[in-house]
Amino acid sequence: MRYTAFTSYDIVLLAQGLGVSLALFLATTIIGLLLGSLWAIIRFYRVPVLMQIVTVFAELLKNSPVLVQLFLVFFGLPAFARLNVTPVEAAVITLSGNTAAFVYVIAVSAIESIGRDQIEAARVSGLSRWQVLRHIIAPQAMAFAIGPLTGLLVNQLQVTSLISVIGVVDLTKIGNILNLRTLKPFIVWAIVGGLYYVMAKLVAFGGATLEKRLRAHTAWKGL
Amino acid sequence: MTFDLTILAPHIPFLVKGAVLTAEACVLALAGSLCIGTIVAALVTSASPVLSRIAYIYVDLFRNIPFIVQLFFFFYGLPEIGIYVNAFATGVIALSIAGGAFTSDVIRSGILSIDPGILEAAEVSGLSKPTIFRKIVMPIALRTSVRPLGSVFINLILTSSILSTITLNELTGSAKIVASDTFRPFEIYAVLLVAYASLTYLVSLAIGALHRYLNRDQTEAA
Amino acid sequence: MISVRGVRKAFGTATVLDGIDLDVHSGEVVSILGSSGSGKSTLIRCMNGLEKLDGGRITIDDFDVSRPKELAEARKRSATVFQLFNLYPHMTAVQNIALAPVEVLKIPRKQAEADARALLDSVGLSARADAFPAQLSGGQRQRVGICRALAMKPRYLLLDEITSALDPEMTSDVLAILAKLARDGTTMVFVTHEIEFARTISSRIVFLDKGQLVVDLPTAEFFAADGGMAKPRIAQFLSKMRKD
Repeated sequence: MRYTAFTSYDIVLLAQGLGVSLALFLATTIIGLLLGSLWAIIRFYRVPVLMQIVTVFAELLKNSPVLVQLFLVFFGLPAFARLNVTPVEAAVITLSGNTAAFVYVIAVSAIESIGRDQIEAARVSGLSRWQVLRHIIAPQAMAFAIGPLTGLLVNQLQVTSLISVIGVVDLTKIGNILNLRTLKPFIVWAIVGGLYYVMAKLVAFGGATLEKRLRAHTAWKGL
Repeated sequence: MTFDLTILAPHIPFLVKGAVLTAEACVLALAGSLCIGTIVAALVTSASPVLSRIAYIYVDLFRNIPFIVQLFFFFYGLPEIGIYVNAFATGVIALSIAGGAFTSDVIRSGILSIDPGILEAAEVSGLSKPTIFRKIVMPIALRTSVRPLGSVFINLILTSSILSTITLNELTGSAKIVASDTFRPFEIYAVLLVAYASLTYLVSLAIGALHRYLNRDQTEAA
Repeated sequence: MISVRGVRKAFGTATVLDGIDLDVHSGEVVSILGSSGSGKSTLIRCMNGLEKLDGGRITIDDFDVSRPKELAEARKRSATVFQLFNLYPHMTAVQNIALAPVEVLKIPRKQAEADARALLDSVGLSARADAFPAQLSGGQRQRVGICRALAMKPRYLLLDEITSALDPEMTSDVLAILAKLARDGTTMVFVTHEIEFARTISSRIVFLDKGQLVVDLPTAEFFAADGGMAKPRIAQFLSKMRKD
């Protein structure tokens, strides 16, 4: 009994797992946002060859299981390229790439929603490509994309749980450890699930707040 | 740095067996999701505030908790309450329940998009509520929801790979075994990735065709 | 008999019906006229139980539409044709018409479908019996809508601006069918903008204005110079409608 019961130290374990999950979520979100936007810009400027590669790559990432992507990076890359990949590195690479693929899709439709005539008008008025991107495209695309992005991030937060399978000690892995030790699956998985739920709600709330502020901002600018 | 696919040839029958198991699990889970999704959508859109609240809580919970956590909850939890089912059944149950949450959302918006006048016409003609739901609401909602339901199904296929974590040797589980037998993880997982992508692409083509077939009568006369 | 007694209906703070009294006897064709917003359509929607009354009582053959148990009986005796047709988009014309007879009246499917085809034939649509609503023109859809109502063999037919969404030539097709029904002695309550048509088929004309029933007269008297026309509000309404 002594070894199986819950102890107060388990709270520390859960907090650690939660921290690992959150840290990886935030890191891969930032990388994914940057990478996905970059891909969308490549597509927008129709960069030859790169554009085709990006399209195929994004399609593959979107339409295959994250778990398989994770295995390919964690088990496949070391065998293929004789690289040493730690679980955390594999997690960062895979989750960033996966997030990027979905960000890419959202960013492309956000840019398309602006309309090329508006962009051409800005170009004609003498703005440089960079200025157009920064002052015309980016603010409008952000306002359009924030809703879909929030949905995506709520989903990607849940996807992080898969990295427990390759041995990253995230919240789900802690759940596994506690589950095997205490043999109380209902309590353990309900707590772990509850923590994920709260995180998901916080992400959704944050997205909604940001959307409100962005929209208020654009409305004010329109006056 | 060699990329040699021939090494996989002898393992193809084993992988196909895994793929068949994946297909079986997904089809069963699709049926389960549709049943649960329909009932839950009916509850959410029902006039009873208590039922619709309960249905909403279910959808909210299962959409916001990672599938792998749900899966472990059932896999380790069910025996605890005396329900002993194999990994396949556990996987199908978990996939159905998670899929049901997404399905119910799709069906719910299908229901809400129905022109209220059509329902009024059904009501004044004396049809009972269950009859209206069965004969009018569901057929219309399902037709308009073919594409979003297809996306849910594709997600179900991708999610089913997680069943490999509860000892089920479906496609991903089989691939894991082949990878450790051959020491060629890169080839096997690369092929697996392309296989899933092709499979979901074919499914999305089939969904497009189904959508056009079911809505063939809904185009305006020339 | 449809009996409307002291009916009141409000949406929020806007009173739409303000103490309406009206009787419709078997064999009568009663047209309800009035400008938009006068409450005509709401009155029909109160009669078939789609709107809850805020006061008063409506009975159809003594079945009170405000009582859930009696509403089913009341609805069996009446049938409604809608302005926007409201056909079931996933069913063919025949299936649209046969659904309620099969489900509510428990008529065998084969017979209900044969009856539906006969009805469609009587409105000149036998060739379109297996078409879906989206494949029909507006006038054809409304004729299917009328058949769907008639298939329930109602004692009272409630018609809510059924030609408002139609082109003029389609309108005349639909009105011809109603004229035939009137000759056959079908009891109808007819909310309309078609004044000339109302004049030819109605036995009585009711005029609503701002939720109140202003005039309830036999058709001839309504249009007589010293009858309904004597009321300035009606004269104004009629001259405006005729100009349109």
